[in-house]
Amino acid sequence: MAIGATHIDHIVISSNNSGAVAQTFADNLGIEIKRKMIRPGTSAQLAFAKLQEVVLEFAGPPQVNPDEEVKAKLWGMVLAVEDIDAAVADLRSKGYTVGDPTKAVQPGAKIATVKGGTSGVPFAMIQYNALPIEGASA
Amino acid sequence: MRVKRIDHVGIVVKDLDAALTTYARNFGFAADASRGGDVAALGIRNAFMPVGESDLEFIQAVADEGPVAQFAKERGEGTFMLSIEVEDIDAAVERLRGTGARVGSPNNGVAFVSAKSAHGVNLQLVQRK
Repeated sequence: MAIGATHIDHIVISSNNSGAVAQTFADNLGIEIKRKMIRPGTSAQLAFAKLQEVVLEFAGPPQVNPDEEVKAKLWGMVLAVEDIDAAVADLRSKGYTVGDPTKAVQPGAKIATVKGGTSGVPFAMIQYNALPIEGASA
Repeated sequence: MRVKRIDHVGIVVKDLDAALTTYARNFGFAADASRGGDVAALGIRNAFMPVGESDLEFIQAVADEGPVAQFAKERGEGTFMLSIEVEDIDAAVERLRGTGARVGSPNNGVAFVSAKSAHGVNLQLVQRK
């Protein structure tokens, strides 16, 4: 089988100032920044825009040096899959090193990172509706 | 100006055929045989693999000069460019230039934004028919 990817879920643009980069994209391209958050655990500053089915994620460090030139790069991508446990097992059977699926910042989602074998593309997989959503009624 | 969707993500690879084989065999994607090939003007070979409503574009430099060759020399392989579909490319270019961004003139519905105008990110604008 393959990994069962349905679409590119999000594309990550990494920088030393995610807020400034997101604002440049908003100002220059008319993209609406829908959400900003601090990533639990790492305190990374994140901003998100959605272009149809693909989320643009602007990621940066917790602290920004205002005197530093803002530098960004297209980093990697996350593919949405139907069954992340099956996808991880499939890639591992092909010799890939894949992290165990863990709870993602997206409610109810699990994410796993693929390490290597992707033509230099930092690459992860995400499955939505993989976990009960906290606070949601049954 | 209206941005519609992510058209494709450009990925620079050392060996196009090997990359396509890897992504087909291991990830289950299929190359779109109707697109891609040699693009002499850009010094590249490319191929597209649809993933949902967007594509992965795999790009191999076949010339010693140009942005793809430069990227390959400096970084080897990896994510190279983000292509964004816009409704009206002329309006998009005008808007960007109005903000001070450096943007090439549209050619066959495609315009390239200078990475310097996007904090180092290579951006392409495309208008589909």
